[in-house]
Amino acid sequence: MLNHIAQRLALSVPVLFGVLLFGFLLLQLVPSDPAAIIAGPMASPELVAQIRQDMGLDRPIIIQFAIYMARVLQGDLGVSLISNTRVTTELAEAIGPTAELMFACLVWAVPLGIALGTIAAVYRGRLLDRLVIAISVAGVSTPVFFIGLILMQYIGYHWELLPFIGRGGPLWSLEGLASIVLPALTLGLVFIGPIARMTRTAALEVLSADHVRTARAKGLAERTVILQHVLRNALIPVVTLIGLQAGYLLGGAVVTETIYSWPGVGRLAVGAILASDFPLAQGAILVLALAFLVINLIVDMLYAVLDPRVESHG
Amino acid sequence: MADLTTQAAPVTVQRSWLSPIWRRILGDKLALVAAIILLVIVLAALFAPWLAPFDPYETTRRPFIPPRWSEGSLPQYWLGTDGQGRDMLSRLLYGTRLTLVMGLASIVLGGGLGAMLGLLGAFYRRLDPYVMRSADILLSFPAILLGLALAAVVGPGLTAIVIALSIATVPDVARITRSAAIVVMGQDYMEAGRALGLPDRTLIWRYLALNCISPVFVFMTLRFGQIILIGAALSFLGLGVRPPEAELGMMASLGRDALFFAPHISLLPSLTIIAIVLCVNLLGDALRDLLDPRMRNM
Repeated sequence: MLNHIAQRLALSVPVLFGVLLFGFLLLQLVPSDPAAIIAGPMASPELVAQIRQDMGLDRPIIIQFAIYMARVLQGDLGVSLISNTRVTTELAEAIGPTAELMFACLVWAVPLGIALGTIAAVYRGRLLDRLVIAISVAGVSTPVFFIGLILMQYIGYHWELLPFIGRGGPLWSLEGLASIVLPALTLGLVFIGPIARMTRTAALEVLSADHVRTARAKGLAERTVILQHVLRNALIPVVTLIGLQAGYLLGGAVVTETIYSWPGVGRLAVGAILASDFPLAQGAILVLALAFLVINLIVDMLYAVLDPRVESHG
Repeated sequence: MADLTTQAAPVTVQRSWLSPIWRRILGDKLALVAAIILLVIVLAALFAPWLAPFDPYETTRRPFIPPRWSEGSLPQYWLGTDGQGRDMLSRLLYGTRLTLVMGLASIVLGGGLGAMLGLLGAFYRRLDPYVMRSADILLSFPAILLGLALAAVVGPGLTAIVIALSIATVPDVARITRSAAIVVMGQDYMEAGRALGLPDRTLIWRYLALNCISPVFVFMTLRFGQIILIGAALSFLGLGVRPPEAELGMMASLGRDALFFAPHISLLPSLTIIAIVLCVNLLGDALRDLLDPRMRNM
C-alpha cells in the first residue's frame, strides 16, 4: 500500500511543477512593470532599475521562476491588482465557504446516489430500475446552471421558501444552514446521476458473484445479503469512481458559486479572470488544482485501505 | 498479394461494424427517437441562416416578449425576444450552431490527438511509458480548471474553450485507444502484415487504427455530451463566446437578470442544451451496448 501511495505522490510532483509554471506564466502577463508600481510615478529611472535589481526582475527567466517558486512555497502569492489586498488573505476567506458547499453537497448526494444505485441493481429490469436509470441519464445530461436557475426561480423567488443570494453565515447557524440548502441541492442533484449509475453497475457485478450465492444458500435474510455482502464489496469501485468525478464536482461548484453569489474560490477565480486580475486568478487556480490533487490522493489511499488487492498491483 | 490484403482489410472492417449499428438503432426505439431529434437539431443548426426568421444580432424596441404560448406574445416572435429585443428563435438556431461547432472542434482535435498518441504508444512500446505518464499528468487537471486557466492566459473566448476541452479529451481517448490497440497488436494479422514487410505507416493506419475504431468511437460519442456541458458551463460563466455572438450557455447566462419575469430567455437555451446532450448520451449508450459491452463500467 505504501508503495502505491508513494507512486501517486511521485506522480503529483510533475503536476505540481506544471501548476506552478502556469502560475508563473500568468504573472508574466501583468501588463505593468511591478518595479515601476512599487517605485511610484515620480521615481527616477535609476531608482526603478535599482528596485528591479532588488526584486530579481533583471535576472534570467529561469532564476525568476525559481524565485517565484520559493515565494509560493513560503505562502506569498502576491497582491491583487484590483482590491490591492494580499491574494492569500482573499483565498483564506474563500476556501471555507467552498469546503462547506462541497461537504453540504456530498453529505446527502453520495448516500442517496448509492441507495438509488443499489435499489436499481436489486430490482434489475423492473420499473424501479428503469426509473433510476432515467433519473441518472437525465442527471448527466443537464447543465448545473439549469438546475440552479430552476431552483432559484421556484423555491427561492416564487414560493419564497429559502434565500438564494450569498452565504448567511457559518454552517451551524440557522441563516447559514438556510442559505446553503439551495446551492447544496443544485450541486448534489447533478452528482446523484453518476453515483447511482456507478453503484448500479458495481452492485450488479457483485450480485452475480459466488459469495453472494453462498450467502443466500446458507439462508441469510435478503436484507443482510444486500447490505453486508453486496453493498460492502460494491463500494470499492464506487469510491474510486467518486474520486474520478472530483473534477466534475469542482466544475459544478464553480458554476453553483457563481449563480448563488456564494463567496467561494470558484467565484473568486471566475471574477478574477473576467477582471484580468492575474495574481488573484493565479492564486485561485493554484488552490483549486492543489485541492483536486489532494482529493485524488485521499481517494487513492482510501481505495488502498478498502481493497487489499491494490497492494499486489503496485 | 500484398496489395490485395491491404485493400481488402478496410472494406471488411467497415462493413462489419457499420451495418449492425444501423440495424440496432432502427430496432431500439429510444435510440431511434434520439437519433431523429439530434438529426433535426443538427440540420436546424446547419441551415440556421436560411431558417432564422430574423437577424439574431439585431436589437429592437420590443424586449422581453414571451413565447407564443404565453400571454402578451407577438405573432411574429414564435419564441419571444430577449432583453434587447432580439428574436429568440433566430438566436437559438445560431447559438446551437456555435455550441455544436465548439463541441465538434474539441472532440475532433482532442480525440484525434489522443487516439494518435494511444496508437503510437501501443505500436512502439518504447514510447508507451511516456505516453501513459503524460496522460496521467494531464488527467490531474479537470477540464473546468483547464478552461479557467486558459481563459486567464489567452483571455475569454471560443479559442480558449476549444483548446481547454481538446486538452481535457486527449488523455482519456489516449488510454482507451491504447488498451484497444494492445489487444489488436496481439492478433495474428498484425504479425502477418509485418511479415509481408508492410511499412509501419500502413500497419498503424490500415491494420491497427481501423480495428480499434469502435470502442474509441463509442467513447468519443459519450464524451461529446460531456464536452458540450462543460463548454456551455464555461460560456455561462462568461469565459466563452463574446457578445453579440450567441452560444447556448452564454444565452442562458444573459437571461439570468430577467429570470423572474421573462424566464424563457434563460430556460429555452438551457432546454436546447439538455435536448442535445440527452440525445447524444442515449445514442452513445445504445452504441456502447452494441459494440462494446465491456465498457458499461465507464
